Amino acid sequence: MSHVGARHRPIDWEARSAGRVSYSGDIRLEGLLEGAILRSPHPHARIRSIDTGKALRMPGVHAIVTSADLPPGARYFHEGEKDRAPLADGIVRFVGQEVAAVAAETRSQAYAALRLIDVDYELLSPSLDVQAALQPGIDSLHARATGEANVSRRVLRQWGDAAKGRGDSRVSVSGSYHFPRQAHVCMEAMISVARWDEAEQRLHFWTTTQAPYYVVREVTQVLGLAAGQVVCHEVGVGGGFGAKSKICDVEVIAGLLAQTAGRPVRVRLSREEEFETTKTRHAFDTAMRLHADPSGYLKAIDASVTVENGAYNHSGASVMSAGLKGLGMMYRPEGVELSGQLIDTSMQPGGSFRGYGTTQTSFALECLMDELAEKLGVDPFELRIRNANQAGETTLVGARLGSARLVECLNAARQAIGWDAERAQRRPGRGVGVAAGVHVSGSFTEPGANRSDAAIDIFPDSRIRVRFGGADAGTGQKTIMAQIAAQELGVAYEAVDVLTMDSERTPFDMGSWSSRGTHFAGHAVRKCALETASRLKALAALKLGDGPLRLEGGEVRSDSGSLALGELARLSNESIDGVLSVETSYIDPVMELPDKDTGRSNISASYNFATHAAVVEVDRKTGQIRIIDYVAAHDIGTSINPTLIEGQTIGGVVMGLGVALGEAMIHEQGKMVNGAYLNYAMPRSADMPRIRPIMIEGGDPNGPYGAKAIGECSINPPAAVIANAVHDAIGVRIHDLPITPDKILKALAEKEGRARRHRIWARPSRWWIALVRWAYPHGLLKVLHGRGAPPQTCTDPAPLKAVATPESLPEALAALNSSAVLMGGGTDVQLRRRQRLIEPETLVALRGVAGLKEIKTASDGWMEVGAATSLAALASAMRQSIPMIAEAIDTIASPQIREMATLGGNLIQEKRCWFYRGGFNCFKRRGGLAPCYAIEGDHRFHHNVIDGHRCQAVTPSDLGTVLLALEARAVIVSPTGERIVPMADFYTGPGETVVKPDEILRAIRIPPSALSRQGAFTKLRLWEGDFAIVSAAITAQVDAGGRWQAPRIVLGAVASTPWRAFDTERRLAGQAVTAASLRRALDSELDAKGHPLARNAWKLDAAAGIAEAAVDAILARRQLVEG
Amino acid sequence: MGGTKPRQVTVNGAMREIAVAPGTPLLDVLRDTLGLTGTKEACGRGECGACTVLIDGRPVMSCISLIEDVRGPVTTIEAIAGDHADLREAFADCGAFQCGFCTSGQIVRAAALLREPWPANAADVEAFIHTAMSGNICRCTGYTGIVDAVMRTGAGRGKLGGGAP
Repeated sequence: MSHVGARHRPIDWEARSAGRVSYSGDIRLEGLLEGAILRSPHPHARIRSIDTGKALRMPGVHAIVTSADLPPGARYFHEGEKDRAPLADGIVRFVGQEVAAVAAETRSQAYAALRLIDVDYELLSPSLDVQAALQPGIDSLHARATGEANVSRRVLRQWGDAAKGRGDSRVSVSGSYHFPRQAHVCMEAMISVARWDEAEQRLHFWTTTQAPYYVVREVTQVLGLAAGQVVCHEVGVGGGFGAKSKICDVEVIAGLLAQTAGRPVRVRLSREEEFETTKTRHAFDTAMRLHADPSGYLKAIDASVTVENGAYNHSGASVMSAGLKGLGMMYRPEGVELSGQLIDTSMQPGGSFRGYGTTQTSFALECLMDELAEKLGVDPFELRIRNANQAGETTLVGARLGSARLVECLNAARQAIGWDAERAQRRPGRGVGVAAGVHVSGSFTEPGANRSDAAIDIFPDSRIRVRFGGADAGTGQKTIMAQIAAQELGVAYEAVDVLTMDSERTPFDMGSWSSRGTHFAGHAVRKCALETASRLKALAALKLGDGPLRLEGGEVRSDSGSLALGELARLSNESIDGVLSVETSYIDPVMELPDKDTGRSNISASYNFATHAAVVEVDRKTGQIRIIDYVAAHDIGTSINPTLIEGQTIGGVVMGLGVALGEAMIHEQGKMVNGAYLNYAMPRSADMPRIRPIMIEGGDPNGPYGAKAIGECSINPPAAVIANAVHDAIGVRIHDLPITPDKILKALAEKEGRARRHRIWARPSRWWIALVRWAYPHGLLKVLHGRGAPPQTCTDPAPLKAVATPESLPEALAALNSSAVLMGGGTDVQLRRRQRLIEPETLVALRGVAGLKEIKTASDGWMEVGAATSLAALASAMRQSIPMIAEAIDTIASPQIREMATLGGNLIQEKRCWFYRGGFNCFKRRGGLAPCYAIEGDHRFHHNVIDGHRCQAVTPSDLGTVLLALEARAVIVSPTGERIVPMADFYTGPGETVVKPDEILRAIRIPPSALSRQGAFTKLRLWEGDFAIVSAAITAQVDAGGRWQAPRIVLGAVASTPWRAFDTERRLAGQAVTAASLRRALDSELDAKGHPLARNAWKLDAAAGIAEAAVDAILARRQLVEG
Repeated sequence: MGGTKPRQVTVNGAMREIAVAPGTPLLDVLRDTLGLTGTKEACGRGECGACTVLIDGRPVMSCISLIEDVRGPVTTIEAIAGDHADLREAFADCGAFQCGFCTSGQIVRAAALLREPWPANAADVEAFIHTAMSGNICRCTGYTGIVDAVMRTGAGRGKLGGGAP
């Protein structure tokens, strides 16, 4: 049987699908302590002193370390710059930088100790973005070789003859493109478990990494240990994507704590720490010009990139360099002229990320190819075909293409997406886009990177073990190694085990990065297996004679007989305990280190190309993009395991679509503000279409079995595909990723010349607010911010003394006191505890209270829903009777949360402003003169556009919006009795209600009229389950003539509380409402009452659009009923 | 620390006596007290689904479920794995996991979904599964494989064409 090319299941599928693979966090060691890291709250400061005395005396604390505990001058190697100490050495240069670390018996003891470490900072001026970093006179973060303040590196590249190319061209297009910081968001956050073995004098690690080689090398040098003293063990690795391709920021700290404490220590980052402090994809600003002749042949590419490095050099210089090289690989102009500058900022450092710079520059290139096609009147596919490099060519950057099937990819994608039919039909709001991509299969960036070793053991029972020094973070490397060994040794796939990561027992490999896994593991294991096979044959020949021998069925067979591999292993005089081990090195014969001066070389052994295409629909009313179809054609050489290839393709596409549609790391005052799954708009299942991979095969002379890489190339085209398809759909081009609805609606408004006039000058009630908002960027924010404490990220809730579980309302009321907090499903209470917005001693759980989960209809016809009814139960109960309630619930969070969360909890949940929630000491958190960070910070999505005052947050509850439109009432009980409050009076501010601390929201009463009202709820959001950016709940009594009586038009997330459009209701009452008539009325009311912040005026357009959609939904439902 | 009044919780069919600090999340009880490390923590905030377990057969986030408020028997991946071999095989065949860290949560969620009613119209099933699985984030696979695996398992159990299993 052929194993190479087969769809074998992942080698450890049984364990992995049963939760039985041990990841670092699952390792249990005797005496394991929990580590926690104290981080800088300042973006740039000098550390005057650190006092750990109080913290050391805390119960459970076993060790506290600072840079003083490291060898003097200890720095990470990274790319040889050695600019970062594992614990800040005198200066901190970004918010979140590691300052000290604690090891304690429990996590909460460790965090409690952190709070008692006293650090005296002298604030220095920060550079929070590239513009600030390049201002004349600014303090430089480092002394760099460029001699320029905050310019870490400059590079100029000229390949070919760009000047001649420009001279030969007749047409040019140009543009500037921004690619944001992206977070890897590995599902397993950074973690490292370390144990110092005093007897052995060795430091053992169970650590999540793509490259144990670098962990061992860096820890050894940073801690001043000798070769062999640092040992890595194999663990499951929960995703990498480049985040773990060198050492991370936790291993040295874990090791140092373990040495100091004399006990094993586990340092694991919280999800917030993972987002806010680990290395990110570098943000690129790319200015580019393409020059072409009238036939569409590219003549020259000019580009200059500005790369935001963040606070330290990790891989910034090589990411920038790789991004430029990507421009010299795919097409064949006469020349390219490229420049790059790498700018230090006092921000989270950038690091390696799938695509490694080529993702960023190819976004610019592939958007411009589209513009060039349009300018020339050439089909975008045809333009790319004309310029595609071919097999046998050496590209401008020096890449020698053993194979190149870009043209085949283009043709396949064109056909699969139905390009010609889509372009011919030209349906409004629908567009189709294409983009191409290229990537390497490994790169020879430093000595050793062209080599991998592998070892194979033949055991006496004929089982085979492959030993390999890299790590499989989910790419399937272990699986293909087993397939290759099985193939060459003629054994069952199931007879092969693979050991990786173990630095004692596996031979040299630099790890899984730069898409090198398949190329190097494939070649090394194949070579080793072939050598093993010939040894086995030689041994067999002694017994079976000189006839032809073959390896099959776990035996060496000849015409005369057979011998099991295990038997042969025992025969070898090299075997130890009957185990025959063979180890070999694969050194790639064609890869070259880059030329120091020109940067040119054949850096990789093979080059893989791709073409992606998509059909999208863009909603001109809400700015939402829906991907209808997506195809990804990849030039993979050959596929060793098609299922794995498809997985890498689809996974890369979706990660690329993430940044196309939503992902970007947003910072304020140097601190990330959207560092949570809740706030970081990465794709959920429902946000993505089926991705259709297409494999273009045919081999490559330099790949193992002809295979090329796949892991990174798939992330390069998606952003440009979507930008091009959006342009095709609505005629606007977005240059700035991600392409979120705000950018679409803003661009459409500009294109159509629409602008809202809010006449603030005529609205005295808004004058003071307008003045304060004006003053914020003119120094007010700086003053107010400077008065308060810097933002802090909290991830450890204060301990509880009790969780009360009353069974009756009186019992629950009695349990309420000043240190108790009510809990419905707990979904927000646990989060607010974690965010240290509340620190109760007691939680009073309401789910067990009798009657609180009932839904009943009273004699007066009002329906009463108990406040502890879960959202899931409420949706089931309402789906037939009041479907808009069920439909609204369907948009809330996730199925799991809807099982837990309650009606009451949903209504009472706190505002979701990401500054307030994220530890910023804002007015709502600290009161007094504390500022509102939303005024100057990123407020495009979840802030106020109508009536903001001191706080710009909005009420997040969708059900609050819906229940107002249904004229429901809240039933609130206190020890003294019960009161009924109409929903119109329920909210007093953003996520703030009339329910007092000694009261309980018992139920919601829904009037009988709700059953006869027509209604719909619509919502604009960034991802499935997100809170509303805007929402609309519209109801009316629709008479036989289709006329709307007593309409209720409520907008969510536009004002501090659910907002009724009273003027619009009055104007539409008694009319047969259409989307257009609603729009006219609502637009004028939003003009008259809106008062948006600097960057969220688009929400008024979106609100009008989403309200139109609600009207459409009501009319469609009526048609369905009548039809 | 408050008291550690022991309480009884049924986990994977067995009654367990648990004595932990007040307000301990179910996830910590499973992983640290009972050694059931198949359930993973990826966010600790109820936002990603990696820690999904069943309580009373319904999928919930164990990282924000406090042990005192657990009001029914708990089922984790360790038990689900044995009962859903077809689902696990489909995950392996369809490329529904890569790094595997979210997989326990995906499989537990999918196991619950396989017991819920599916759309009567087979053409609606794919979108239904895409939506129903949206509480479980996966960063590796791009979701197509997960949806395929759940669909294949559902088809094998006669769920295409609607209705209960």
